[in-house]
Amino acid sequence: MVDIIVCAKYAWDVAEIKIDPSGKPVLEGVPRRISDIDKNAMEAAVNLKEKHGGTIKALCFGPASAKDGLKELLAMGADEAYVVEDPSGGMLDTAATVEALAAAIQKMGSFDLILCGEATTDGYTGQVGPRLAGKLGIPQVTYARSLSLEDGSVVAERDLEDAYITVKVSMPALVSVTREINVPRIPSLMAILKASKKPMTTWKLEDLGLSKEKLEEVSTLKTVKLEGFAVERKRLIIKEKPVEEAVQELVSNLLKEKVLGV
Amino acid sequence: MSVEKLTLDKRLGLNKYEIDSESHIEVREELCRECETKVCLYVCPAEVYKLEDDKLVYSYEDCLECGTCVIACRGGGRGAITWKNPRGGFGIVYRYG
Amino acid sequence: MAEEKFDVIVVGAGPAGSTAAYMLAKEGLSVLLVERGRQAGAKNMTGGIIYSRIVHEVFPRFWEEAPVERAITSYNIVFLNGRSALTLNFKCPRFADPPYNAFSVLRAKFDQWMAGKAEEAGAMIVTGATVDDLVMEDGKVKGIRSGGDEIFADVVIDAEGAKSLLVEKAGLRGDFNPADVSVGVKEVVELPEEVIDERFAVGKGEGAAFTLIGGLQGVVGGGFLYTNKSSLSLGIVARIDSLMEKKVKVHELIEDYKMHPYISRLIEGGSIVEYSAAILHERGLRQVPKLYTDGFLVTGSAACLLINNLFTLRGMDLAVASGAAAAKAVLRAKQKGDFSASTLSAYESFLRENFVLTDMETFSRVPDLMDNRRVFTVYPELLCLLMESLFSVHPAPTMKAFRRLRELMKGRVGLFEALGDLFKVYRAL
Repeated sequence: MVDIIVCAKYAWDVAEIKIDPSGKPVLEGVPRRISDIDKNAMEAAVNLKEKHGGTIKALCFGPASAKDGLKELLAMGADEAYVVEDPSGGMLDTAATVEALAAAIQKMGSFDLILCGEATTDGYTGQVGPRLAGKLGIPQVTYARSLSLEDGSVVAERDLEDAYITVKVSMPALVSVTREINVPRIPSLMAILKASKKPMTTWKLEDLGLSKEKLEEVSTLKTVKLEGFAVERKRLIIKEKPVEEAVQELVSNLLKEKVLGV
Repeated sequence: MSVEKLTLDKRLGLNKYEIDSESHIEVREELCRECETKVCLYVCPAEVYKLEDDKLVYSYEDCLECGTCVIACRGGGRGAITWKNPRGGFGIVYRYG
Repeated sequence: MAEEKFDVIVVGAGPAGSTAAYMLAKEGLSVLLVERGRQAGAKNMTGGIIYSRIVHEVFPRFWEEAPVERAITSYNIVFLNGRSALTLNFKCPRFADPPYNAFSVLRAKFDQWMAGKAEEAGAMIVTGATVDDLVMEDGKVKGIRSGGDEIFADVVIDAEGAKSLLVEKAGLRGDFNPADVSVGVKEVVELPEEVIDERFAVGKGEGAAFTLIGGLQGVVGGGFLYTNKSSLSLGIVARIDSLMEKKVKVHELIEDYKMHPYISRLIEGGSIVEYSAAILHERGLRQVPKLYTDGFLVTGSAACLLINNLFTLRGMDLAVASGAAAAKAVLRAKQKGDFSASTLSAYESFLRENFVLTDMETFSRVPDLMDNRRVFTVYPELLCLLMESLFSVHPAPTMKAFRRLRELMKGRVGLFEALGDLFKVYRAL
């Protein structure tokens, strides 16, 4: 039996962000979705639960509308979901986010394992997992590309880009996973229907003994400037050539652009 | 300021897709090989179907999900194309529509 | 697995499906509305404008809350040849007052709004789920199949749109004929709101609609242009058999079309933000499949409900009307506790009473008119040439209008042929 909390962000869909003529990103009306890698974390949780039994709770610090996103995690297999409402509209830093998540986790009761994505698809700081482990005073394993349980411990293979390292850690622990760990399931219609009957709890900061002011105090990272920049795509299409030549041309272009390096 | 034509690639590049790893289009090769009209090459607004070395290839990722190909293929080809809805949420995502 | 059963399952959260789901949920039935897009509207595309009166009947004063673009007050019919255009413009300021006449809409937003109304009324909406098949027992529809799941209902309302894969699976239609179906392709062109107001000479919140005839390289079809709040919807509709015959690529056809001086001036300075496509069933009443069977009703584009009267295309208002009629039929069936075809046949009577089928009947000759290629090629060309010759002055003897017309007709169309066509147009409209 393993009791898991999956932390997920209801992130901006970055593909939908437009840059206005003055160079500012327009966030108004941009749809949100559960950050992709957090779905990998949820899938990993479901796999563990299927093997060992237990419970899965999904937790999000975000707008009230995050409930819509959490429905997807419930459909994937979470047993219940919690939203801590962020009154700032997503403008707080990772320290504040961790403050809120930690307070919620304490209120949620005991757990064996916290899973999250290695980073979110919008902010991509990669800080929330490690900071949260620090705040809760539990061991952490980052960049897990595989995950299993062995006699009350977590065994994870970490992806360090030029090497893999397998580690074992006792629970409770926090593990952040990479995209490579699995392919998140697409919930079936029945699973979506069932999810609609699963419990969803919404907390305000005050319910956790916090306040907007308190979080702003912790939030030391201030956004000075928010600027969009457009990257012109090369739009190079290699057509009508034998495969060998086409590959050769592609590789030499990638080398020229320093996408590939030797 | 004048109006310029936009290549199909550029126009498709403006669209949003959630690309599935599975194709929602199937082409029965044995039927397709015998087809002389190959109407799918003309009618598809996303030019999903192309000939490469006399063999039909298709890029289901570009599909606008209009359904024209099946009607043309059955009506003027050999009925080699089967089209089903992409799995839930996948495929084209119209932001304007 | 425990069995899930609803009173009604509606497939597709477009205008037809959301209307039906809304009306049934409001009456307290348990309704499951299944949409394959990530959200309602994600898979849907229209020209398009929606005629408002019927929507107003179901959703009173919807314009106050729905994301409509502009109230259409300027209607234009344009005949094109290769270099010029003859426009018939009708401006009606009264169309800027409630209940309006028509609004331009963009479906991604509009359909989400309507699905939201169904949800508010109590319907259960599931998005991102594809319905693959119907569950049938002894020829009766008992529910839907999605992946490995079966979900049951007293009645399934099919509002899946023009591809109507379930109608085929239910055995209510055969293959479509490429001569009955057109493909519409559209480009959404962004332009600042003020530029649109000025360029189309419309007041704030008001918009223009254009139906374009001719100029499509002989392909059977036409063009359209609608003003949205800060974008234009420009597109062409081309019959599939005609594209097959002429081996014309429809995505190239629309780019050529854009270069026509009349059109390029209207879209100048704009940038394309989306390219979309959908099919339209244009054969009218004859193409409408059987609309019901045991436990099953077909609505909207899935039922080929579309009216083309040469100058306007109506689909979305018929979808709403058919969704409402289906809901009424289901309510009656629920009262009787009988969901057989004979009870559900009331749906068809409601569709006659509420104008959908009667209007389709009224314009049932138009589709055949479309078979006459002269409508798209010779006549727009003739009209433009006649105007050109009437307006140009040369240092040479001139002719009276009718003589000019006869001259221009030579080699293009015979007098009796033309009179015959004129009579057909008269009869069709």
